[in-house]
Amino acid sequence: MATVATPGLGGKTEAHDPHESYLAEKGLKSWLFTLDHKRIGIMYLIGVLAAFLLGGILALLVRLELFTAGRTIMTAEQYNKVFSMHGIVMVFLFIIPAVPGALGNIFLPIQLGTKDVAFPRLNLTSFYVWLLGAVFGLYTMIHGGVDTGWTFYTPYSSKFTNTSVIPMLTAAFILGFSSILTGVNFIATVHTMRAPGMSWKRLPLFIWALYATSIIQVLATPVLAITLFLLIFERAFGLGIFDPSMGGDPVLFQHFFWFYSHPAVYIMIVPGMGVISEIICTFSRRAPFGYFFIAMSSLGLALLGFLVWGHHMFVAGMSEYSTMVFSALTFLVGIPSGVKVFNWVTTLYKGSISLKSPMLYALGFIFLFTIGGLTGLFLAMLAVDVHLHDTYFVVAHFHYVMVGGTVIAFVGGLHYWWPKFTGKMYNEGMARVAFALVFIGFNVTFLSQFVLGSRGMPRRYYDYLPEFQSLHQVSTIGSWILGLGFLVMLVMFVQSLQQGKDAPRNPWGSAALEWQTPTPIPFHNFVDQPVITRGPYDYHLATEAELDEGYAPGERPADADD
Amino acid sequence: MSSEAATADATTEVPEGHDDHGHDEHGHNDHAHPSYLAHHFDTPQQQFDAAKVGMWAFLVQELLFFSGIFVAYGIFRSWYPEMFSAAAHQLDRPIGAGNTIVLLVSSLTAALAVREAQLGRKAGTSRYLLLTILCALIFLGVKSYEYNHKFQAGLLPGHFYHPHLHHLVEGSPALPENAHIFYSIYFMATGIHAIHILVGIGVLTWIWRRNERGDFSKEYYAGVDIAALYWHLVDLVWIYLFPLLYLID
Amino acid sequence: MSDSHHAAADDGMIHSHVEPVSHYLKIFSGLIFFTLVTVGLSYVHLGAMNLAIAILIASVKATLVVVFFMHLRHDNKFNATIFICGLMFIGVFFAYTTNDTARRENEINDVSGNHVYLGESEKHAPGGFEPPKRIVEGAKEKPEGTTKSEHH
Repeated sequence: MATVATPGLGGKTEAHDPHESYLAEKGLKSWLFTLDHKRIGIMYLIGVLAAFLLGGILALLVRLELFTAGRTIMTAEQYNKVFSMHGIVMVFLFIIPAVPGALGNIFLPIQLGTKDVAFPRLNLTSFYVWLLGAVFGLYTMIHGGVDTGWTFYTPYSSKFTNTSVIPMLTAAFILGFSSILTGVNFIATVHTMRAPGMSWKRLPLFIWALYATSIIQVLATPVLAITLFLLIFERAFGLGIFDPSMGGDPVLFQHFFWFYSHPAVYIMIVPGMGVISEIICTFSRRAPFGYFFIAMSSLGLALLGFLVWGHHMFVAGMSEYSTMVFSALTFLVGIPSGVKVFNWVTTLYKGSISLKSPMLYALGFIFLFTIGGLTGLFLAMLAVDVHLHDTYFVVAHFHYVMVGGTVIAFVGGLHYWWPKFTGKMYNEGMARVAFALVFIGFNVTFLSQFVLGSRGMPRRYYDYLPEFQSLHQVSTIGSWILGLGFLVMLVMFVQSLQQGKDAPRNPWGSAALEWQTPTPIPFHNFVDQPVITRGPYDYHLATEAELDEGYAPGERPADADD
Repeated sequence: MSSEAATADATTEVPEGHDDHGHDEHGHNDHAHPSYLAHHFDTPQQQFDAAKVGMWAFLVQELLFFSGIFVAYGIFRSWYPEMFSAAAHQLDRPIGAGNTIVLLVSSLTAALAVREAQLGRKAGTSRYLLLTILCALIFLGVKSYEYNHKFQAGLLPGHFYHPHLHHLVEGSPALPENAHIFYSIYFMATGIHAIHILVGIGVLTWIWRRNERGDFSKEYYAGVDIAALYWHLVDLVWIYLFPLLYLID
Repeated sequence: MSDSHHAAADDGMIHSHVEPVSHYLKIFSGLIFFTLVTVGLSYVHLGAMNLAIAILIASVKATLVVVFFMHLRHDNKFNATIFICGLMFIGVFFAYTTNDTARRENEINDVSGNHVYLGESEKHAPGGFEPPKRIVEGAKEKPEGTTKSEHH
């Protein structure tokens, strides 16, 4: 009988019973110094949810201010800061680490059939780097915040605003490091840590998505780092390279910024797509239609993400030739996105669909992401973009992709894997009510913004013409419904932790590997080293026992050998 | 990341188990699990491969970090070729070339340190690591001498640019009004590079201490290897920075 | 524990590829040689070729370092792939940005009432505004009253 020994920090070894849940050890120290990817993932989860709460409150304040024209609850200066902080908190603190940092950290090694990520210490470091960045960000908020928008465009950010730009840039710089470290870790893990039999063709689609995301994180984030670094020096010492009055070029800043920040959009959405692929397969109880194409479209999005950044700058003073190239390339993004959407829909066809709450989120995702994606094509057209640029149309478009896409996928994934990593079931009825509120609230909030934008309402404005008031009020009321939906969800999850039923091993009847290990997850993810003999979606090869109760703890597949 | 393996992993036999599912036929005991192998890896080869893949991914992000400076350089040089030529005349080519050679020597000693580590020669590894650190310190010394001259001559970035005539190189062309851009790029590029050298000195010192402690062996030298990879990258960046900044005709 | 894909046929131990010292010395002397060549060539006026040659020589040196000092030749092919991918993305970054900055002159015009440079000048970014006048004459001759002025 082997008890597996694992090193804690400082080389101490602690004995672990292979059946013991990873949650068994109590005490704050066992969390703060853990090297276990699942615990790090949960710390990330708590962190990003706190950031989401903060960003959400700021969003509600923005919408409340816009309820009436002129001043409603805050001054114009305060408004500029609140929407800037909303963007910064949501982008850097929440969306980028949400799926990879929280769900990815918990489930990537389990889906690969391994004990941990390749570099557990680096993993913990990446969390603490994130925390440090978050502390810097909060410090800046308390110190007055910034009013540049999350994009920090020069020369306003470098020469004119007198808000705390430098601490905020430092925060974003630090958060970038956290993202890079996660990416490096995941690439090494996927390459070298797969379980015996886990070939590339058997890799779950969530892993493919995380792998594509990691590539973007490693290749794009350093450019953000150098950009922010240059901007810090530009602001502090007047470098002049982004300053037109000194022979520099402010549009160059936008190139640098968007070389990161456009791929970053795919850092946000691609892992969400991976979650959706998993949910759709499980709740349709069949293999994905076109597994290979869904997998490759993740890599395709990662690659194309680097070629289209100029579409953020069509009216910024870029050369016309360059705008045409970027516009043409931007349309190409429709191909991998379309492949995904069509393949998900086709997977549903003749599937044995069960409409549990994770599946509701997945279907909601397909609907909302399709709207978000298609309106992106409007904006990719040069002539149309001249009219729509910097209007609420753009705001609605990226919220459909970011909230309707990533947040819905993240929340869907949270519902999907919640029983596995907490060991508790949640109240399905409440989950459905929350979904309905979120879905309706979201559409009320942002569909009206498409109309506002196409009628010429500029984004980021504090005040507006009287004819926009009714649509702004519809949007604000929508934001309340949306907020209520998330509140119901929060209550539901807290209730689940306090009084939820113990979750079975495989509540959704999935054939995927992470559902074959006991609930809650053992310390080393599996009681025995799994040997993979079929793909995660091979329902025709999965035994009744695997889909229903699965093999009992300690039991191994018949054909596995050592 | 090499430190993953630094922690000891003991595999213990516990006489009484929890169940009877026959774990004894499996894994943890029948496979050699040396002390340098972290618990979540199966074999030393897997651990080594993971460290290398991770390090190369990290090096690529370093390259992209520097790429921002190179792109800025390319754009401003294409806009202001005359200014770049005039401003570069104020940099000292022989000193720059000498420093390049110092860095190349350090790269050689880093490569030889890895070779010694591959052969399991602790003393040789330490010696070459120390030589590498020495070269790094010489490089920084020369760099600070150059910086000092630039400070005195007022050849500084952006707003701080205020050239003193009597400190400029004799017979150099007139400095155009926007030469401060060149010095902005010069200081950012060499400054970021110098920060990497400082980090490199820290990493090499740490690896040297671990080597002295006897952490490495013929079977496990990934720490030396990836520290050397990092050091070569610093060299690599300078190989481009030197001609681009100093050798403009 | 049976091993996974990564070390199918061998024992999972590390088998390093050790090169003789002379191999490293050869590479090193090549690096020094190219450094001296590039410094020497910088004193020869070749116009635009100077930049091209300098970058070419730097790339040869970089290749030597990457392939031999960094052992990419005997390394896992995937590591080389990562590295080359990184270089390609730097190429994308550079090419697409210059695609804009090198072509601005044709389109930007003076619509706002500001004086916008059209890029015909050597001194201003296309699309930029009037820079401050701070012309500094270089020291054509040794300035009077100063001795040994080059380094302090």
